[in-house]
Amino acid sequence: MDLRHLLFTLALICANDSHSASDDLLQWPQISKCRSPEMETFSCYWTAGNFYNLTAPRIIQLLYKKSNEEDWKECPDYITSGQNSCYFNASYTSVWTPYCVQLASENEVFDKKCFSVDEIVLPDPPVHLNWTLLNTSQTGIHGDIQVRWDPPPTADVRKGWITLEYELQYKEVNETKWKELKPRLSTMVPLYSLKTARDYEIRIRSRQRTSEKFGEFSEILYVSFSQIGIGCDHCTDEVEFPWFLVVVFGVCGLAVTVISILLSKQPRLKMLIFPPVPVPKIKGIDPDLLKKGKLDEVNSILACHDNYKTQLYNDDLWVEFIELDIEDPDEKNRASDTDRLLSEEHLKSHGCLGAKDDDSGRASCCEPDIPETDFSASDTCDATSDSDQFKKATEKEEDLLCLDRQDNESLPSIANTDPQRRHRNTQSQNSHPWAPFADSIESPRLSVHTQMSNQNSLTSTDFYAQVSDITPAGRVVLSPGQKSKLGRAQHEGCTEQNFTMDNTYFCEADVKKCIAVTSPEENEPHVQEQSYNEDAYFTTESLTTTVANLGAPTAEPPSSEMPVADYTSIHIVHSPQGLVLNATALPVPDKEFNVSCGYVSTDQLNKIMP
Amino acid sequence: KHSLLLVVLLVSNMLLTKEGVTSLPICPNGSVNCQLSLEELFDRAVKLSHYIHFLSSEMFNEFDERYAQGRGFIAKAVNGCHTASLTTPEDKEQAQQIHHEDLLNLILGVLRSWNDPLVHLASEVQRIKEAPETILWKAVEIEEQNKRLLEGMEKIVGRVHSGEVGNDIYTPWEGLPSLQLADEDSRLFAFYNLLHCLRRDSHKIDNYLKVLKCRLIHDNNC
Repeated sequence: MDLRHLLFTLALICANDSHSASDDLLQWPQISKCRSPEMETFSCYWTAGNFYNLTAPRIIQLLYKKSNEEDWKECPDYITSGQNSCYFNASYTSVWTPYCVQLASENEVFDKKCFSVDEIVLPDPPVHLNWTLLNTSQTGIHGDIQVRWDPPPTADVRKGWITLEYELQYKEVNETKWKELKPRLSTMVPLYSLKTARDYEIRIRSRQRTSEKFGEFSEILYVSFSQIGIGCDHCTDEVEFPWFLVVVFGVCGLAVTVISILLSKQPRLKMLIFPPVPVPKIKGIDPDLLKKGKLDEVNSILACHDNYKTQLYNDDLWVEFIELDIEDPDEKNRASDTDRLLSEEHLKSHGCLGAKDDDSGRASCCEPDIPETDFSASDTCDATSDSDQFKKATEKEEDLLCLDRQDNESLPSIANTDPQRRHRNTQSQNSHPWAPFADSIESPRLSVHTQMSNQNSLTSTDFYAQVSDITPAGRVVLSPGQKSKLGRAQHEGCTEQNFTMDNTYFCEADVKKCIAVTSPEENEPHVQEQSYNEDAYFTTESLTTTVANLGAPTAEPPSSEMPVADYTSIHIVHSPQGLVLNATALPVPDKEFNVSCGYVSTDQLNKIMP
Repeated sequence: KHSLLLVVLLVSNMLLTKEGVTSLPICPNGSVNCQLSLEELFDRAVKLSHYIHFLSSEMFNEFDERYAQGRGFIAKAVNGCHTASLTTPEDKEQAQQIHHEDLLNLILGVLRSWNDPLVHLASEVQRIKEAPETILWKAVEIEEQNKRLLEGMEKIVGRVHSGEVGNDIYTPWEGLPSLQLADEDSRLFAFYNLLHCLRRDSHKIDNYLKVLKCRLIHDNNC
């Protein structure tokens, strides 16, 4: 029911429309266009509408008037241009004169138009289209043709009365969209790269050069290569350049190349393309660690250096080792210096081994091949680290100086070395056992010195222990250099075994207390003597005093230890176990050594060291 | 400084190379007393006249779009142009029958008659309310090119004309007051009229020159 209802309403509407159109509205005659094909004649066309059907037959007239005339004239020719048209031949045409035409019937004007002829020029289409083959491609798939035509015959181009422009359009036969060429003045145009396998259609239209509107199209020209016998029967498929494949393969190749470079083990190539970024590095110290304030890590680095005990921090990596050392009763009860030395060495090696081997500089410090004895072995640790050590040393009294325990302790051999061992002849060397140290450590030295001086008055102590021998097992045998007595040591004896084993340095004084406990003598004047030892911090004066005093103690019966020479020279180096010292009175059997006053310079050590 | 010079050069090159008007050297060989051939003179004249007509046509279309819609100007634009008093050929027959010297003189007369109106057009069109920039510069350009064409035509006439060069063909223009009317509608209509006449006369001159060129140079076989 609904569908029928819909159809019925639709039918009503359509009937109404047609009915109203015919009854109410009279489609008036209208002038559709006026056109001049060659600027010599023109025609006007109109539509009659439904005029004839509705009203009584009346005749429609076209009247025209030139601008300089008063009267309307009737159209001279209704026939030539067809029905509902008016043709004005050359005699009636004035080109640049304004015209007005109107469509009228018995004084009823239907439509009116005003124009001038030069504005309504629409040329006829070109004629005589033809094409010729220019050439074909090597594969025979594409070809070039030249299309020629003649201007419309009505247009007088030869006398220059009208100038025409042409526009060519072409397309393949089965396509829908035409391709356009730019309008041009010439009557021939080449078409390039047409497919010989396909057929083409060409059409051309023209316009007056200064106008915008084109005339009608010409007849279509058919281009078929097979007619000339050039057609490529087997080239139906278009071979286009495989851009997609090229791109894909190019990307893959590039990726493979990059990956191979990354994974290649050729350091040269890798260095070339991915050069390593140098990391700023100070041997022994990583400045970043210092900045971050990770003292424990710094300590771990410095632990590699000789004779520096790490601080006891809760999160210290080597607390474990340190604690073991402390708690171990054997450590404390060891009677021999050798053992103590070795235990520290063990400690240090632990400390060193515990350090990571990275660029922070620790690795360079860890050279377990050289025993961390009093004399410096690691030249790689420079003075900077020494200064830091000393600064720390001053902070913690218990560390290096053993000042809280002993009175006359001096820093035992800062075997750590000053790589530039200088032979200084300073007056105050007695008070500074480290006279030839670098200036950088001036301040700690001074503070130490003050502490030293406070305690100097008490007793004289032996500052250094001497390595007398190295056991085959690799242990270093120490003995005190001189028969000097420790003032306090006599009293304290070896009972006081408060060796602070957490220090890298073992306190010589403690050792000597135990060793020289039986020696009754107290050698005041020997206070100043430095038992020289291989740690080569000597001063001339100390040497002289030592020499001077050498005689005295030798008269005494030696204590438990055997007499040792004042100087020892490095005879053999057992790598990595250590050094065998040749206890000769005078040094330099080996010409390499320029042992002046017992110094063994760093360079010489370097030569010796493996 | 260099960039400014470059810009100036580019702009001038751009303006000169519009629609076939190229900056051709006066004397290609660089000699002092060189003379262009008549063919060359005609070629240049035709190019200039075509360019002037192209500009006029575009200017009229723009003005029509912008100001004349809905004002019914078209119905009224049957007013004659000030050059209507000059009897110029109105169809091909007349153009072919007229003597080339007379035709040349007529061309000169029309060009001279437009000198004055073009100057005022260029100045007065700037006073139109919200005139587009394209109309403004076209007016200036037409005025300039018209002067150049006039010079060229006088050269041609000097070559072709055997006798004296007649200066009497000239129509004065008195339309300036209408361009300065207070009433905007009337003023715009005056402009519309003037631009319409300009388009027509430039087409005339372009056509006459082509006819002359084909007749004199190519012997009616362009």
